[in-house]
Amino acid sequence: MGRRLVGIRIGIDTGGTFTDLIVMDEASGELRVVKRPSTPDDPSRAIFEALAHGAVDLRGASSLVLGTTVAVNALLQRRGARVLYITTEGFEDVPFLQRVDRKFHYDLDWQRPLPLVARRDCLGVRERVDYRGQTVTPLSDAAVGELVQAVRRRVDDGASGDLAFALSFLFAYAQPEHEARVRGALAREFPGASISASHEVAPIWREYERASTTIADASVKPLMRRFVDVLDRGLRAQGLQRPWTVMKSNGGQMAARAAGQRPVQTLHSGLAGGIIAGRALGQASGEANVITFDMGGTSTDVGVVADGEIGYTTAWEIEFGLPVAAPFIDMTTMGAGGGSVAWVNKGGMLQVGPQSAGAVPGPACYAQGGGDATVTDANVVLGRLNPDNFLGGELPLDPDLAHRALGRLARRIGLDVMDAARAVVQIAVENIAEAVRLLTMGRGLDPRTFCLAAFGGAGPLHAAAIARVVGARAALVPPHPGLFSAYGALLADVRVDKTWTHVVRSDSLDLADLEARLRALEREAAAELRSEGFAGQPRVQRSANMRYLGQNYEEEIPIPDGPLSPAGWRALLASFEQHYEHAYGYRIANEIVELVQLNVTASGASVKPQLAVLPRKPPARPRATRRVWFQRQAGVECPVYDRADLSPADVIEGPAVIEELDSTTLVHPGQRLTVGERGVATLVWR
Amino acid sequence: MEVSAPAPRRGAGSADPAGDVVTMTVIHNRLVGICREMGATMMRTAYSPIFSESRDFSCVLFDRDGRMLAQTEFCPAQVGAIRFVVKWLIAELGEDAVKPGDVVVHNDPYRGGVHMPEHVVVKPVYYEGELFGYVANIAHLVEIGGMAVGGFAATATEVYQEGLRLPPVWLMREGRYNHDVWRVIMANHRAPRYSWGDLHAMIASLTVAERRCHELLDTFGLAAVREVSDALLDHAERWMRNEIRAIPSGEYEFADHMEDASDPPARDWIRLRLVVQDDEIIADFTASDPQAANVLNCTYGVTASGVYNAVFHFADNDVPHNDGAYRPITVIARPGSIVNVVHPGASVGGNTETHPRIWGIMMGALAQAVPDRVSAATGGTSCNFLFGGTHPDTGQYYVHYHFDGVGWGGRAQADGNSHQVVPNGNCPATPVEVFETRYPLMARAYRLRRDSAGAGAQRGGLGSDRVLEVRAPSITVSALFDRMVTQPWGLFGGGGGDPSRLLVRRAGQPSFQTFRDAFGTSSNSRVANVELREGDQVMISSPGGGGYGPPARRDPALVLRDVAEGFVSPQAARGVYKVALDAADDGYRIDHAATAELRRDEPGPEPSREPTVRAPAAAAQAAPPPPGAWEELTVDWWQTDVVNCECCGQVIVRNRWRAGDGRQFCTPACDERFRTYWLPRYGTPSERRPQ
Repeated sequence: MGRRLVGIRIGIDTGGTFTDLIVMDEASGELRVVKRPSTPDDPSRAIFEALAHGAVDLRGASSLVLGTTVAVNALLQRRGARVLYITTEGFEDVPFLQRVDRKFHYDLDWQRPLPLVARRDCLGVRERVDYRGQTVTPLSDAAVGELVQAVRRRVDDGASGDLAFALSFLFAYAQPEHEARVRGALAREFPGASISASHEVAPIWREYERASTTIADASVKPLMRRFVDVLDRGLRAQGLQRPWTVMKSNGGQMAARAAGQRPVQTLHSGLAGGIIAGRALGQASGEANVITFDMGGTSTDVGVVADGEIGYTTAWEIEFGLPVAAPFIDMTTMGAGGGSVAWVNKGGMLQVGPQSAGAVPGPACYAQGGGDATVTDANVVLGRLNPDNFLGGELPLDPDLAHRALGRLARRIGLDVMDAARAVVQIAVENIAEAVRLLTMGRGLDPRTFCLAAFGGAGPLHAAAIARVVGARAALVPPHPGLFSAYGALLADVRVDKTWTHVVRSDSLDLADLEARLRALEREAAAELRSEGFAGQPRVQRSANMRYLGQNYEEEIPIPDGPLSPAGWRALLASFEQHYEHAYGYRIANEIVELVQLNVTASGASVKPQLAVLPRKPPARPRATRRVWFQRQAGVECPVYDRADLSPADVIEGPAVIEELDSTTLVHPGQRLTVGERGVATLVWR
Repeated sequence: MEVSAPAPRRGAGSADPAGDVVTMTVIHNRLVGICREMGATMMRTAYSPIFSESRDFSCVLFDRDGRMLAQTEFCPAQVGAIRFVVKWLIAELGEDAVKPGDVVVHNDPYRGGVHMPEHVVVKPVYYEGELFGYVANIAHLVEIGGMAVGGFAATATEVYQEGLRLPPVWLMREGRYNHDVWRVIMANHRAPRYSWGDLHAMIASLTVAERRCHELLDTFGLAAVREVSDALLDHAERWMRNEIRAIPSGEYEFADHMEDASDPPARDWIRLRLVVQDDEIIADFTASDPQAANVLNCTYGVTASGVYNAVFHFADNDVPHNDGAYRPITVIARPGSIVNVVHPGASVGGNTETHPRIWGIMMGALAQAVPDRVSAATGGTSCNFLFGGTHPDTGQYYVHYHFDGVGWGGRAQADGNSHQVVPNGNCPATPVEVFETRYPLMARAYRLRRDSAGAGAQRGGLGSDRVLEVRAPSITVSALFDRMVTQPWGLFGGGGGDPSRLLVRRAGQPSFQTFRDAFGTSSNSRVANVELREGDQVMISSPGGGGYGPPARRDPALVLRDVAEGFVSPQAARGVYKVALDAADDGYRIDHAATAELRRDEPGPEPSREPTVRAPAAAAQAAPPPPGAWEELTVDWWQTDVVNCECCGQVIVRNRWRAGDGRQFCTPACDERFRTYWLPRYGTPSERRPQ
């Protein structure tokens, strides 16, 4: 954000289990890290504890960025506000009607999810707009008045607690005036009320997806506002001078105040940092193609950076059938972490996850009463994890309990303990690899041209195996892998996405009108960036969602720079057809093309800190040796290094184990680990 | 209950037991992944919302013998049938007839098809010069010619009115267009642009799947994938057999009917004898009515698909849905009956209307055996509504197939889901905003219908009402509904769901009326080619699901919630559920004393839910089997007739088993089943299969 490099930058990542704090000295690039247990009842408490634990002086902070799971957890646990849903008369049931499909083909027990709104709180107002945005039934003042009366009755008879309004009228993306007028009337009648209007929250077509997104936004808004306010007061009291920001699901950051206004944009706030950090890790190593792989205790997040670009999506669901169509970094989250439980299904096949032993009781080796064999137990049995160095020795593991848990599993599938442990790790690895394949091959990307950026507590332990299975060229392991997502928060730009949904055919095109629309979107985006705290000149990218006439799904194609001229339009068409043929193997010559949506992304670059250059030391020497079991081999005696002993230009030949406070890196036989000048470890095959 | 661990046969030199356990899981996941990716390609490239929004297609992978290796979670009805289509197609054409780069298309209901709109495209996958298997996609083309717009000729009586019938023919030969076939298709479909685009989307999905198969084979090698595939089929079979063992052995009967809302209403009965013997199931429909002179006949594939679908709903959801899982299930469907249509009978409604009924009949039979693991009747009609015309805004011809969700039946532990797609499909509805952007019809209301659910201790799900208004000078509509006369049934004292309705209000008229009253159609549930004008409105009301258990045993707190949420009226709460509610300022409260009084004599003793198991009839002493022999059918290349097995009713394409007494069977097993199972129950059939 165009600031001078003075003082410190603070990144905070509040996860479900741990709250991570990372502090970077802007002058030297040195990092300090703190990991504290999260406090889900009041997430800000863990943040202040971490700040105190790290003796951070907020007066010297030039920036503070927060990644938070407050909004997403409230949605998942349905702890949000009571929502009053207001829509076009006749369509009050849209949140209940949903899309009629079932989660599974053949599951009689499946329950359709209830929306985050009660049916008696769904109110209709007499108005109607058609698909071109033209008014069919005007919104009369009388209708607005009746609605306000009806809302008043609902509000008065309701129980105490948070209340929020969600407005989603049919075709409001094509003509928002009716929705805006009702919004204004409600704001006047209910001062201070929390109101989410669909034309602002998600101006996309498909009424159920838009309604569901708007309801989700309304549901968590009061709670998110309160969280931001409490945290803001606390941070100010401790001397923070600069505005602070919150990570958005799209990988950008927004002013904290704005996050309270549009919480639906922060649902993946806690995940976005990882992929931003992964991209930076690739850039620092000269790699534009990076698969980010963040494996923690309960889940794994996988993302793709292709040619330096991150992919985006608007398809996300709270659970099956409850969509949230906001801009998200396109990632896959799966139930594969250290705590993932190995089990045998009724058909006798070995499965790993998605169930997790969680933090309590945790894997069997935590000795907290857990009896299920987990991925962590398998790694202990295979000698890959040091029972005395888990979380820097704060949590000693019991290898006997791990052996016993694996033994029980092994008997059920007719293997010996070591083979069972290898199978558990390998299935977890294969599950993750399949997700990587879908993210890459599914889009025509070849994983053999990618590097794996591995982090999270359990990432570096499995990095080499996953890189091998998907064919990635190398695996990169950053310093402090267990807190690397928080590092990503230090690198985020401010970023706003704006869209305009309207169907235009290539045979009846008004380029001047499209150009005017794009400019209007750019102005809106720039204004929003400013309101989110950005002062400089934004970088603007335009794109169009296009398809052949008659199709229903679109491909997003970048619009060439400069005003949209006839030549630019031809280039855009050519680019669409080229993209289409590459993805699907054919093109339809001379077919009319429809343009369905214009997109503008405005981003303001922040000054990117760099990891510190490490001093050279004498070549690292192992601190110990221990027996480790790899695939298809009897156990081998392995040297064990302390990551802190490694310095630039060190080369370690596998097999070897590298231990540090928050993670363990495994170097397989036949692999080589090298250390870069900023401490990034690179794993390759000899 | 558990089965032993899978034991893939080891390849030579394989010495890694952990690897084998893993390989099995990995290859299974990869096969399913390939099908998913086919689906994603189809969705993104298709022309019609029926694919892109409603996903009315299925993607399947077969081995070289035509055995299904994996499928995606798209449309159950198609998946159950496509295993016959591909198997019989290979048998008919011969394995060596299909070359790399070929694509064969086929929609013939008499040789494994589902109904005429469902087109199957099949492509062989060769690897290093050897045939690995086939990738296939079955999808509902929205317009295929015939007597009515939109491929649903609701009043048809024979196949020639239903559209263009294609026996297996080549769309592509070694990667090049086979122009003749395309030109015939384009000349016979009303909206050829849609067919062109959608067939290309189908072919694109095959291209992607072929690519991913090659990657899989590159990784594991052809031999290993074949070996593991065999093991996966055996594994699924063992698992399914274990699931079936959970059903008490015995014979269970249930019957239900299809209906026409004509005056008087017409009914066609489907009668099931479900035989559970240890780990096998025979679903025997022999006592069903003869083939009907309407479109509700099922092909053998549809009937079998309905049976499989119900068994899969009953069984563990994790059983791999490959060919092995189907092996323990035998379906007997007499050729020439409503459950096995023969030429030239019509069948377009069998897939959307009769399949869910067969599913429900299976539930009704299973309810006697395993009452806790079934549901009452679902709404059981797709509410098919078809329309087409010229769009006033674009001047272009359009056509659309619309369907609606229904209430599902109440279950032992839970209410039925509301407004959910019928069990034969799993298609999301087309959003109102997508619908109106493409077609000149405007939705005026779209809502759940209060009191439409069958009452019960666990009530059914609610049906919906949708009002559509014509916004063009003229459109042509057709419709095919069921459950308009008879309610979807409840179980164990539960009430029936509200039936379906299809009404019309002419522009300027005050009220809705039936199509018979408005247009003089012979039926209210089967309507073809009616012209509607600007301002006319159609109301589509989908049925509710049946209830489970007596309504007076429903928890009063749930009744209170249903009234507060508007699912149940206060009148029904009192009259049907026997719950007294007091209106208060902030809603309703339960009057417990009055409720106890209302329920004092209700509902009597708990109805018996003990399984009613009947012993299987003693197997009759079979006559000594006369010697039979295989013989090859000799059919000229231009002939498209098929013959059927005289026991199960399956199509015999190439090789038939000729029994000693001259009867023809698909296999010697059917010969034996005919003598040991069929004859002792039904005697010598008086009517032979019409030839």
